[in-house]
Amino acid sequence: MSANSGAESRPQPSGPSRSSSPAYRPWRHRLALVTLGATLCLIFAGGLVTSTGSGLAVPDWPLSYGMLMPPMVGGIFYEHGHRMVATGVGFLTLLLAVWTAIDEPRRGVRRLAWAGLAAVVAQGVLGGLTVLYLLPPPVSVAHACLAQTFFCITIALAYAMSREWLWASAPRADVADVRGAALSATGFVWFQLFVGAVMRHMGAGLAIPDFPLAFGRVIPVFENAAISVHFVHRLGALIVLAFVVRLWLAAHRSSEPLFKGPSNLALGLTLGQIALGATSVLTAKAVTPTTLHVATGAALLGTCWFVALRAIRLARPTRLAAHGRPVAGAHGVA
Amino acid sequence: MTLKSLPKLVLILGSLPFAAACGGGSEAPKPAEAPAAAPLAAPASGSGSITGTIAFDGAVPAAEKVKLTADPKCAAMHKDGLERQPIHVKDGGLRDVLVYVKSGASGAYSAPAEDVVLDQRGCDYTPHMLAMVAGQKLKIRNSDDTLHNIHPRPQLNTEFNVGQPRQGMESEKSFDKPEMLIPVGCDVHPWMRAFISVLANPFFAVTGEDGRFEIKGLPDGEYEIEAVHGKLGKDKAVSGNVTVKGGEAATLDLTLKG
Repeated sequence: MSANSGAESRPQPSGPSRSSSPAYRPWRHRLALVTLGATLCLIFAGGLVTSTGSGLAVPDWPLSYGMLMPPMVGGIFYEHGHRMVATGVGFLTLLLAVWTAIDEPRRGVRRLAWAGLAAVVAQGVLGGLTVLYLLPPPVSVAHACLAQTFFCITIALAYAMSREWLWASAPRADVADVRGAALSATGFVWFQLFVGAVMRHMGAGLAIPDFPLAFGRVIPVFENAAISVHFVHRLGALIVLAFVVRLWLAAHRSSEPLFKGPSNLALGLTLGQIALGATSVLTAKAVTPTTLHVATGAALLGTCWFVALRAIRLARPTRLAAHGRPVAGAHGVA
Repeated sequence: MTLKSLPKLVLILGSLPFAAACGGGSEAPKPAEAPAAAPLAAPASGSGSITGTIAFDGAVPAAEKVKLTADPKCAAMHKDGLERQPIHVKDGGLRDVLVYVKSGASGAYSAPAEDVVLDQRGCDYTPHMLAMVAGQKLKIRNSDDTLHNIHPRPQLNTEFNVGQPRQGMESEKSFDKPEMLIPVGCDVHPWMRAFISVLANPFFAVTGEDGRFEIKGLPDGEYEIEAVHGKLGKDKAVSGNVTVKGGEAATLDLTLKG
């Protein structure tokens, strides 16, 4: 996802000159994009840990078997590998936060960068706690959900630092519908990821072993919580599809071409995500589809969130333009 | 089930976080508590014994080849490969069956002073079925030149996860409550699996290569004996009654079905 792609390939919006906006910092923006990409890799690595059952292959924390670098064998490869990627993301986030604090005139963006740093630290602590307390489901679920939330923060930061955000000018028509559809899709996808995390960490991934039916029925007998959670996750997939189709329709009805690409991506990711979920069940949770299911869920959330941010920005770019300088807190990050 | 059941589903969904907080859903198997001895009676011992064979009736599954490439040191220990055969049958007898006095032993038995040892050797556990008395010390040893973590998943006792990164390391643990078939695993080497059973009395044995067992030190009395195998699980346990008289050996043969 490139926050710049649309702005670079199309004519720049008319309105205030570039000099009236906060200066575009290409290297800081690139760092934000790298942090975003690394975070998606981190979510994939975290999914691998759970899919391979390696969550407790390293029993201590913050060191690993008392070492900084244990032999990368067996389950340690996944668990310690996840810790290494997480450390990298932590350093990237720290660098981004400090750089933004020094260089960024918009108070909202500075705060968001610090919030990202706080989130990544909290995420590391949750990861440590879940190891030390032998994977208690509430902590593991919180770890999974904060990962998705942090990913959204990195997207917001990268977009707020992009030329598209900085140079947006006149409000666009036909944006409100897309904004509402994208925000509601983002909210429900996040909820669906929460249910997925609960299902995953309570070991209910195969509680309903067949697909598309459930024990040969449309609606199964809810004998236990595992079956219920699993079924809610399946039901949630259909609701997500409905939300994303609504977003896709809104984007394609809008006269603004910038929404079409990401909405196509969101629809494709949703269909792929459903296929991956089905494959995960039918292969008895094979590592590859199960892990891709986690990462694709994050990518879908991020895409919907990006469309929402873009719609928010394009709907109300004029506060920045009218004052000729950034308005702290406007539109959430500007 | 019709759409009428949806409100129930919504209710269950509402309790989702609480269900998760309780460590999972109600599908979790109920912990198997080993039969406890009467707490106030004095423990009895004798010179009687029960011997016999545990046979296996069923198709023996093909051995699974273990992929050792994840740890080159494990691969080097098994140059011809490693096979896992959890149902090990020889001459009709089933190995690694825990045979124990389920009822008939009265008294509160203290834990024996000697340790039981679970060894990690050749990237495998020795033994695969380990039985001990509640409170007895369990010594966990790493005989391999690679690292292992030891992670039992009990339901009644306290779960732990200990790393042993160096060869020759030993850890001491114990389980306070009787509990059957606690699965033990190494998360570094997922093929490593064993079972620990914690019993309330010392009258138990684990079958050898040929499925034979001998429970020693029994006082005279009538006993219910149960045989349980880790892979087959508690649901397929079988039991039988036997009487020990005059300190002599009694015989009991049982058959576990696959």
